[in-house]
Amino acid sequence: MAGPVQHDGGSSGAAKAAAVRYDHVTKRYPGQEEPALTDLDLEVPAGEICVLVGPSGCGKTTAMRMVNRTVEITEGDIFVGDTSVREREPARLRRETGYVIQQVGLFPHRTVADNVATVPQLLGWDAKRTAARVEELLALVGLERELAGRYPAQLSGGQQQRVGVARALAADPPVMLMDEPFGAIDPITRERLQNEFLRLQGEIRKTILFVTHDIDEAIKMGDRVAVLKAGGRLAQYATPAELLMDPADEFVEDFVGADRALKRLALMRVSDIDLWKAPLAFVGQATSEVRAKLNGAEVPHALLVDSDRRPIGWLSERDLSADVVPERADSPPDPVLDLDDVMRDALADLLRSGTQYAPVTDAEGRIAGVLSVEIISEFLNSPRALSEEHAATERPHD
Amino acid sequence: MTDAPQLAQVVIHERTGESCIAQNKVFCPGWAIDNFDRYVDPALQQVVLVVVSVALGFAIAFALALLAHRRRWLVPPLIGVTGVFYTIPSLAFFFLLIPISGRGRDTAIIALTAYTLQIIFRNIMAGLANVPREVKDAGRGMGLTERQLLWRVELPLALPEIIAGLRVATVSTVALATLAAFAGGGGLGEEILSNIDFKTGIVIAGGLAILMAFAFDVILIGIQRLLTPWRRAVPA
Repeated sequence: MAGPVQHDGGSSGAAKAAAVRYDHVTKRYPGQEEPALTDLDLEVPAGEICVLVGPSGCGKTTAMRMVNRTVEITEGDIFVGDTSVREREPARLRRETGYVIQQVGLFPHRTVADNVATVPQLLGWDAKRTAARVEELLALVGLERELAGRYPAQLSGGQQQRVGVARALAADPPVMLMDEPFGAIDPITRERLQNEFLRLQGEIRKTILFVTHDIDEAIKMGDRVAVLKAGGRLAQYATPAELLMDPADEFVEDFVGADRALKRLALMRVSDIDLWKAPLAFVGQATSEVRAKLNGAEVPHALLVDSDRRPIGWLSERDLSADVVPERADSPPDPVLDLDDVMRDALADLLRSGTQYAPVTDAEGRIAGVLSVEIISEFLNSPRALSEEHAATERPHD
Repeated sequence: MTDAPQLAQVVIHERTGESCIAQNKVFCPGWAIDNFDRYVDPALQQVVLVVVSVALGFAIAFALALLAHRRRWLVPPLIGVTGVFYTIPSLAFFFLLIPISGRGRDTAIIALTAYTLQIIFRNIMAGLANVPREVKDAGRGMGLTERQLLWRVELPLALPEIIAGLRVATVSTVALATLAAFAGGGGLGEEILSNIDFKTGIVIAGGLAILMAFAFDVILIGIQRLLTPWRRAVPA
C-alpha cells in the first residue's frame, strides 16, 4: 500500500496520514498458552478510523499497542506507510504516533500548555514554534486559552480528555492510537466528545486505531470496525453498515446485538432517505385548491407554510372548512426535523412527540419533505440499505 | 575537654546571677544572655554535621534508589542493609567506628550518614512507586525514553515523598548529632557533656537543637512548596 498519503480538505489544510497494515500479526505473552492475538491481517487506509472492538481479553488493546511498540510483536509485522515498525527505534516511533488512553495520563506536575508541548519539546522544537502550536491545538480541541496555565487537577474530566487529544496531536502524527479514550467519562459528556472528535477528524484526517468494548461507540466512530473474539481472532472487519446488515457469524451477530437494525439508523442522516411530499398550503390560498392537492397525496394532511416555505403547522379539517387558508394552523408542526439530523435522533423525536409525520427543513428552514415512521421502517426492510455506502463514510455532524 | 574555662565562667557568674546558678535552677536567663556566645560555634558545628550527613545520605540513597528502580531485585537487600545501619544503637555505632576512623568529625558524619540512608531510600522508592501507572504509560507512549521518564516525570512526581523523607531524616539527624560529641565530632552535645549537671547549659543546648530541627524543617517545607507548585493548584 502507498506510503504517507496527502489528504485534501479540512479547514486546517492538508494533514499527513499513513495507512496501517497488520501483516499476519500474532502476539504471545510469556507463560500463556493461547496467543493474545492470532494472525491479525488487516489494513487501515490512510485517514480512516478503524475501531478495534470486542469483549475484554480479545486482544484489541494488544493489537493497538503493537503499532507504537508499547507491546512487542511476536510474529508477523506492522507497517505504518511503507515502514515496518520493527525497524523503528521505539521512542522515535512513538513521538510520531499520537497516543490517547482512557485515564488520559496527563502529567500532573505540568501545566496544560506544557503537557501539550511534550512531544514538540522531545523533538527539539524552539519555544516560539511550540507555543504557537500549543495555542493552535487548544483552539482545535475547543479549550479556552486561559486554561493553558492550569494544572490537570484543575480541569474537568472532559477538559482533561481534550488536553489528552491535543497532546497526542501536537507533532501532527500520521497515526493516532486511542485506547477507550472516552470510556471513563459520563455518558452525556462522552457523546459530546465523540461528536467533537468526529468533527475534528473531519479536519485532521488522521489514521486512527480506536479501541473500545462498546459496539455502539464502534459503530458511531468507525469508518471500519474490526470485531475481535477470544484468543485475538478477527471475527469480522467491515464498515459499520456491513457489520449491521451482514454479520459474519453468530459471534458478531450476538456482539452487535438484536437491535442492530436500529443501530443502522445511527449511521444515517435524514437527507439519506427519500422523503414524502406533503401538500403545501399558503396563507390566503383558496382551500379548494388545497383539498384538491390532498387527493392521493403521500401525506394525507396539508402543511401550512409561510411565503418562504417555512412550516407553520398542520391544517385540520376545521382549518380547511373556511374559504381561504387561515394564518394559523390548529396543530403545530412539531417536531420539525433538519436534513442534517441523525436518523436515530429523528426517529426518537417522532416517537417522543407521538406524531406520525414530521416536516423536514433545509439549512434555511424551508420545507424539504416529510418524514414518517413508515418511511423509516420501509427503509430498514429494503435491501437498498446495505448499498448505502455513504452511511459508513459520511457521518453525522451534529 | 573544656572543663577549666567552663568552671571559670560559672565562678564569674556566681557574682551576678549567683542565686539562680548556685541553686542550679532549670534555666537562668541572665546567665544565658551573658554566655550565649559560647554556643554559637558548637551550634554551627552541628549545622555542618547535619547538612553534610543528610547531603551525603541523600546522594547515596538516591543513587541506590535509581539503581533499585531499574533492578527491582535489589530493593529487599538494600532495605535490609540500610535497615541494619538504622537499628544499630547510635552510641554503639560511634564507639564501633572510633577504632576504624578515629575520633573526630569524620566518624560522626559516617555514622549520621548511615542513619539517614534507610529513611531517604525508602521514601524515594515510595515516591517513585506512587507515580500513577497511566502517567508513565502516557509518557512512554509519547516517546519519552526511560531516562527522560525518570527525570522529567517520575522524580518530579516523587518529590513530595522524597522531601518528606529528607525532613524526617534531617530532624532525626539534628537529634542524633548531639551525640556526635561522644565520637569527638563537636556540636551542641559537647556543651552538654562538658557539664552534665549544669541545667541551664543543657536547656540552652537542647533548646538550640530543637530550634535547629524546626528551622531545617521549615526550610525543607519551603523548598517543597517552591518545587511542587502543582500541589497547591486548587481545583477550579
